[in-house]
Amino acid sequence: MDLAKLKAGLKKDFISSSSSEDLKKLKVKYLGKKGKITNLSKQLGKLDTKERPKAGKKINELKILFEELNQSASQKIEKKELETAISKEQIDVSLPVDSNHIGGLHPITRTIEKICSYFSAKGYLIEDGPEIESEYYNFDALNIPQDHPARDMHDTFYLDSGKLLRTHTSPVQIHAIEKHKAPLKILCPGKVYRSDSDPTHTPMFHQIEGLLIDENVNFGNLKKELIDFLNYFFEKNLQVRFRPSYFPFTEPSAEVDIMDQKGWLEIMGCGMVHPNVLEMSGIDSKKYSGFAFGLGIERMAKLDFSINDMRVLFENDLKAISGK
Amino acid sequence: MKFLKSHLLEKVPMKIDTSKLESELTRLGLEVDSIEKLKNKSDVLFDLDLTPNRGDCFSVLGIARELAAASNKKIKKENNTLKASKLSPKSKVKISAKTACPKYSFIEIYNLDNTKKLPNFIKDRLEAGGINPINPVVDILNYVMLDLGQPMHAFDLNKIGKHINVRFAKSKEKIQLLDESSKILNDKCLVISDEKESLAFAGVMGGIKSSVSEATDSVFIESAFFVPDIIRGKARNFNIQTDSSQRFERGVDYNLQSLALIKATNLIKKYLSGTYSTLSTVENKSNLPHQNLIDLNLNHLNNKLGFEIKLTKLKKFFDALEFKIESNKKNFLKIKIPSHRFDLEIEEDLVEEIARLEGYDNIPTINLKTSSSVFSNSVYLQTLNLKKYIANQGFQEVINYSFVNKKSLQDLDISKELIQLKNPLNENLEVMRTSLLPGLLKTLKSNLSRGESFMKIFEEGKVFTKSSRVREQNMLSGLIYDQDKKKNWSSKKQFSFFDLKKFAVDLLTYLSAKEVKFQESKNAFLHPNISLDVLNNGKLIGSFGRIHPKINKSIGLKKNFFYYEFITDELNFKDNYKISETSKYPSVQRDLSFVIPGKTKFDNLDKLARKLAGPNLVDLKLFDLYESSEIKNQGSSFAFNFTWQSKFKTLEDKDIDVTVKSIVEGFKDKFNATLRS
Repeated sequence: MDLAKLKAGLKKDFISSSSSEDLKKLKVKYLGKKGKITNLSKQLGKLDTKERPKAGKKINELKILFEELNQSASQKIEKKELETAISKEQIDVSLPVDSNHIGGLHPITRTIEKICSYFSAKGYLIEDGPEIESEYYNFDALNIPQDHPARDMHDTFYLDSGKLLRTHTSPVQIHAIEKHKAPLKILCPGKVYRSDSDPTHTPMFHQIEGLLIDENVNFGNLKKELIDFLNYFFEKNLQVRFRPSYFPFTEPSAEVDIMDQKGWLEIMGCGMVHPNVLEMSGIDSKKYSGFAFGLGIERMAKLDFSINDMRVLFENDLKAISGK
Repeated sequence: MKFLKSHLLEKVPMKIDTSKLESELTRLGLEVDSIEKLKNKSDVLFDLDLTPNRGDCFSVLGIARELAAASNKKIKKENNTLKASKLSPKSKVKISAKTACPKYSFIEIYNLDNTKKLPNFIKDRLEAGGINPINPVVDILNYVMLDLGQPMHAFDLNKIGKHINVRFAKSKEKIQLLDESSKILNDKCLVISDEKESLAFAGVMGGIKSSVSEATDSVFIESAFFVPDIIRGKARNFNIQTDSSQRFERGVDYNLQSLALIKATNLIKKYLSGTYSTLSTVENKSNLPHQNLIDLNLNHLNNKLGFEIKLTKLKKFFDALEFKIESNKKNFLKIKIPSHRFDLEIEEDLVEEIARLEGYDNIPTINLKTSSSVFSNSVYLQTLNLKKYIANQGFQEVINYSFVNKKSLQDLDISKELIQLKNPLNENLEVMRTSLLPGLLKTLKSNLSRGESFMKIFEEGKVFTKSSRVREQNMLSGLIYDQDKKKNWSSKKQFSFFDLKKFAVDLLTYLSAKEVKFQESKNAFLHPNISLDVLNNGKLIGSFGRIHPKINKSIGLKKNFFYYEFITDELNFKDNYKISETSKYPSVQRDLSFVIPGKTKFDNLDKLARKLAGPNLVDLKLFDLYESSEIKNQGSSFAFNFTWQSKFKTLEDKDIDVTVKSIVEGFKDKFNATLRS
């Protein structure tokens, strides 16, 4: 057998092979039971013992050559075959999908969450309270007795049962004090109701009430707590102003303004808890002091999401409230 | 409270530009509602939004006091003396309602000319104050009220009797007021009367019969102190509001009556001529407000503010506010308050006054050191988690008003135990909702009319009922409306009951609600055959299904849609969430397809299959279902895929074979089922 011829044939065969099938056939042709290289190995025994090692070496070289050729050919062929398979798999990826109905939370809920997550992390307990209240919790216990002029500011909805719809979230202060006693830190988001309707007022709206009672709480603490919160909410260092105001259940009382592009903007009310409120709910006002604050969610949502007319929040136009 | 800048600065002579004046007033707690530069006049109109406690600032004098205190200036002194008169008044005044009216000053002026013109400054200031001109006498009284804060009333002396009495009205006593309205008073209303009848609704409005006109030449002028509680709410109850009632109900300085009367008399004399009687006052001192001393502990003050204020500074503030330190023992002061600051009662009120003059913005911010700690997992966070999950399932949250139209509840048959508003804004907001469904239906309809054809919406909030007591319950409800005929090319399938069931099952699984059971629904909102109730330990916690056809009918919507509702507070299963160890051994699967004659509910098959499959069953799927019609007359075919796995050993084929055999036999016995090959 002419080894050189065999070698040349082997090379030629690999050059002309173009598929994994071809490669399989070549393996049979050269290394199969009756393959050409196999046959050479079989003939080794017939040779002289002197010549045997030399011939064996040559056959071995042939085997190595086969493996080398096979490996490089199969790499090329696999790559080509993969390319062919990929080229056959085509879709129009520019076709549209249905993503109109992804769902979402109402802007009010989003705003409440933004505020609650902040105070929650600071250790405030998030409380819920009844929306139908007695005069006691909505007014009297908050130091707003019958015929107090502050009641005029509330435009209360009264119910046939003699109760009323809470006009602010402040009654939760009283429920919380009765439930937890001092010290306490609570936050209560919720719906409140006032008999009012125009572009800036809806008969139902949302407030968040915060209350902290502990020993040695002072006005400087209140300022710090609220300035930190406002900077968090608006995500920048704000110019904040505190100015005297009046709430029957806090003394001193303050309104908090922030500087907007257009000037000062009233953002929330706050104050040191009035000793009458503490005493009425059984807290020793000599030992404990505290602060309370309240803010309108709609106003915060309005600023955060650029809403012009408050009423859009409760008309539930899905395109509008989903923010699409 | 509206006033001219020039009027204010006449009382506190100083130069201050308008924006500085605005910020000074704001800093003091007198909120500036608006500022208007007046054309043709070099003047500015201020409108203040006064808080109810600051009745003392319901006059230019009151605001001037504040400005003076803040700017270290003094109020300009006015001539407040009246030349003595020898004429005794013709009228006799008696006060029957002594506690309601502790002080009543009056004067009579004769032979005045009520047709004369008043100088421009009075007219301008009244106009600026939003007070309409009536006639000169009344205008002067109103001007003095605007200036000093004391409301006064003039009666035509020729139209009233000699014996004036301040008394409570008789029950159903009638009076015709200046605005020509007739009111029927009650015994809580204070009136000024003569021998015959009531002449004025005290502190609110005068009567028309005794009123002053241009023809009037003699007047009786009243300047009284009425107790705020007596006036409060009265005008509002009779649907009137006057400059007088607004001031009396917030409180008027009880030392102001004769001063105001002197100023008014001098102005009338000056501009309308005439002669006047002596000024008389009937008073009952014991019923006047007490001029209390307020204790101020300087340690308390510093603790409340968070920083120390020096006594010298404090004295300066007190001086500016006309407070007097009556005594000072070891940081313990007794402070005497002037009569115009009747709003101040307790130590905290003084703390606010001091903070106000210091300037709230000058109080340093201080980090909190609190001891309270919170361990309770709040309901709010659980509900938020739930809402986020539902939103992520493609539902848009909506918020509807808690009050609804009564008919919308009657239409749904849920108008029992209603809570009704006594004073609703309109009939669409007259009762509290007993369910979230009416609001969702309203949202559905309004969005249909906006052209939506596919909606997944939900709402979470309270519903209200009243039986023996008022009950509020947090609910979570949603609607799915899918009539989208032009769906996306790749997802043509319409929402079905089983999509809703998948939503409910997934939700409950997500919440770790392991033991809940479904059963045929009794919910009246739902189609009786296409709905399920969700029960936890036998307690109803929710329902879902196709909306009942009667609701389709009542809201005029023919298309089917779906509804679910859950009691929010019953969806708290967080304690169920536990991590279990996984098995190290391989699982074994077998498929079994049964042909079952007649109609059998899957639930029954499932129960038996699970029972017979034994404790090592980890999953059971129904992977194929052929309904009766497809397998002619043979019944339905149910194809189950069972998966077994043990935590303790590798399951052997022979073990599974035994189990499978028992399942096949069990199905044959109970359902007459045959195994399909």
